[in-house]
Amino acid sequence: MDVQASPIPVPRALATDPRQAAQALGRLLYQTPDRGVFLEALNALNGDLTVKRLGAQLRSHQSALQWGRDEDGQHAPELARLEREMQTLPVVQEYRQAEAGVRQLFCAVDEIVSQEAGVAFAVNAKRGGCCGG
Amino acid sequence: MMPMVEEMEHVAAELGKSLRRESLMRAHLEAVEEFHSSPEAVELEERLYASYDDLIARQQAGEQLSREDIQAFYDLRRWVQAHPVISKRDNALGSVKPHLAEVADEISLLLSADYTALARPE
Repeated sequence: MDVQASPIPVPRALATDPRQAAQALGRLLYQTPDRGVFLEALNALNGDLTVKRLGAQLRSHQSALQWGRDEDGQHAPELARLEREMQTLPVVQEYRQAEAGVRQLFCAVDEIVSQEAGVAFAVNAKRGGCCGG
Repeated sequence: MMPMVEEMEHVAAELGKSLRRESLMRAHLEAVEEFHSSPEAVELEERLYASYDDLIARQQAGEQLSREDIQAFYDLRRWVQAHPVISKRDNALGSVKPHLAEVADEISLLLSADYTALARPE
């Protein structure tokens, strides 16, 4: 696990309630530099005007393709061009890097939880989209 | 005082252990064990996965799948889903999932980020 070591108080005994154990884990993850860097990068991404403009254009082309409104065949190449442009933006690249860092840490943590629980935790804890679950 | 990495590993393990002790999870793990103890159920499910992989491979190779091929797959899937040991395992997992989601919510709330989305490979 790639986390900067910093001494923190250790609880004498963890509660046997999974919710309390989850809160303890959440507090520890909150303190990691990876989580801070990720949220900063996410905020920067969400506040970037170029990202917003490109995002709106991307959604417009995606919608056209989704609804079969691509008579002149321009939407697919334009979508690909905009996606490439988006990926070259420094704010997007910084976000991707921060996301990869936090993902690596969370995956390592999740592997331990899953191993002990006997079930893949994050995968099975994911809430469904539009259809609940 | 314990280094943060060690503490995090300890707390993650404790979370896993506390989940494992719960009755819903025990029922799920027993159902999984029952599945693995049933050669018939294991073979049936393996056949389904093999059939799926075969159809995908043929489709990707440019073959137009026949209605019979697709129907045979759906029939096999229905058969698999109706198998008592498999359906018991799947239902047990289905019962555990909402509870796991609630537990994961505790982490996500503290992080202001969806733990379940970030704790999975892309």
